[in-house]
Amino acid sequence: MKLDRRRFLGSSVGVAAAVRVAAEWVWPKHTVWYRRPRSAVAVLSAAEYSERIEALLLDGLRLFRLQVLGRSVLLKPNLVEDLPGPVNTNSTLIGAAARCFLRLGAERVVIGEGPGHQRDTELVVQAAGLKPHLAEQQIEFVDLNRDELRKVRLKANYSGLGALWLPRAVLESDFVVSMPKVKTHHWAGVTLSLKNMFGIVPGMKYGWPKNVLHWSGIHESILDICATVPIHFVIADGITAMEGNGPLQGNARQLGKIVLADDPVAADATCARLMGFDPQQVRHLSEGCHFLGNLREDRIRMLAEGVGTSMHPFSVLPEFDYLHAARI
Amino acid sequence: MATSTGASVIEKALLKRGLPSGGWSFFSSEQASLEATCLAGLALGSNSHGKAVSTVFFLKKSQLSDGGWPAFQGDSKAAWTTALALCTLTVLNEISIASDRALKWLLEERGKEGHWFWRWKFKTADRNVQFDPDKYGWPWISGSASWVIPTAFSIIAIKQFTVCNRTEASEKRIHLGVDMLLDRACVDGGWNSGNSIVYGVPLRPHVDATAIALLALQDEQRSELIQRSLTWLKKESAGVYSVSSLAWCILSLFVYQEPVGGLKNRLAAMLGDGRDIRNNATLATAILALKCGEMIHPFEVLR
Repeated sequence: MKLDRRRFLGSSVGVAAAVRVAAEWVWPKHTVWYRRPRSAVAVLSAAEYSERIEALLLDGLRLFRLQVLGRSVLLKPNLVEDLPGPVNTNSTLIGAAARCFLRLGAERVVIGEGPGHQRDTELVVQAAGLKPHLAEQQIEFVDLNRDELRKVRLKANYSGLGALWLPRAVLESDFVVSMPKVKTHHWAGVTLSLKNMFGIVPGMKYGWPKNVLHWSGIHESILDICATVPIHFVIADGITAMEGNGPLQGNARQLGKIVLADDPVAADATCARLMGFDPQQVRHLSEGCHFLGNLREDRIRMLAEGVGTSMHPFSVLPEFDYLHAARI
Repeated sequence: MATSTGASVIEKALLKRGLPSGGWSFFSSEQASLEATCLAGLALGSNSHGKAVSTVFFLKKSQLSDGGWPAFQGDSKAAWTTALALCTLTVLNEISIASDRALKWLLEERGKEGHWFWRWKFKTADRNVQFDPDKYGWPWISGSASWVIPTAFSIIAIKQFTVCNRTEASEKRIHLGVDMLLDRACVDGGWNSGNSIVYGVPLRPHVDATAIALLALQDEQRSELIQRSLTWLKKESAGVYSVSSLAWCILSLFVYQEPVGGLKNRLAAMLGDGRDIRNNATLATAILALKCGEMIHPFEVLR
């Protein structure tokens, strides 16, 4: 058979595709599958951070019939900097979540964070207004940047990191709750429950910022971390969110929503839709939906409210205009 | 409250938290942290010969074969803590082969942008963060870019250790590191982790990074940028409400001959007997700050 240039190119592409499929079959990118047939999400409306949030949150959490009785719960908020504006997960919501889990029967609630920019964690905790909530019994704060570390082999291989040293407080908790602030992000597009897990990577080993994760690929690192430390539940703070040049320099955006979910991909996809973005355009979501959770709307069961269609999309840096593509 | 009396009470608290290995962890774990150990060794070593000896013993025992130190016990990769360990050995008067090997490690280590390929990338294709990649310093760990705090500690360590006998290689790395710090300063003075302008927006400085960068620049010509940063730090120090940041303010302002008496009193009042400060590195830094002027300043560079 005569092989002309067109046939040669076509065959080469075909062989390359076959090799790639075979390689992923022999060396899969991930060794865990957390995705279930259907996930549950509840979008709660809250106009402001007030004492009423606790009752609202408790009602919302009860919709999920969570099994936290006698378990150790880790709340992982997004506490980044001692800056004004909607930079950090609001402390009223964090405190309310901690009390709710205790009321649902959790034996212990730990709030853990390892800020990625500010080295002085005490400064961030104080600026975020978290101190009064920590005065309560059974609620402890752990500085994840300086906790005891254990080396853990990663359960996915997108970043090539292979293993990470991770804090004991994270590895020993029974139930991990990611509590992101709903924000745009100037490197990742959005920072939601999956990106929030960068905060479990210890500064004591990886520095401030955790630059190795950037060099290894932000989306790739997110996938590897979230495959290794599964998120059991999400409480996303979208009451006052951030748009534009997030995660630090953006503008406040009143969204008035708290998003609860038993699946981090479903949570982030829902938040992205609330922001007016196409979740499929966020790389760690479009890849994460193959094994970390559900992205498609028909696989997400709305327990309370839904995603409206008439909102004005969040503004982004020009580099992220593609996020605004038509929704799937 | 007399600050030196306060310091002695807190010293006892810190002493009790030492690990049998001779090191300290940040909090209550058994895993020694090099940063906590070095700061505690510096804080307690001046008063207690025994503590100085055990810190030196711990450091020598935990030095890696390449001359560096890991960030914590159990890790096998050297990190920025090598600079802090060299400072500690120098201040505790332990001049040995361990220090020579540490210096060698520091002179060889560089931020990833020290490689021509990444320098080229940052100059041509990746300009979202504004900096000059020709001016590089030290990373937190190998395989990442240069950042302010590891660069500042590395400069201090090399300046201190080579004060009497500085080779051209040391001089060159010091200059390059100093240039990198000056390049990464925030627009209105001061430093954060090392990003001054991102996407055209100036980021604000951090107190601890500014204080530590100024310590590294203490013997450099007092440029307008250094003066502006010092003025920023002085202004911020009046309102700092965290123990660690306030302690670093005191340590830095002291070497620039700024008055720190009021800040020390405030720090002593915040500390009480030290029981509520769970972070051992913070407690040790606070002791060093309270004892400023009464003992050898661990980060002072002789001119």
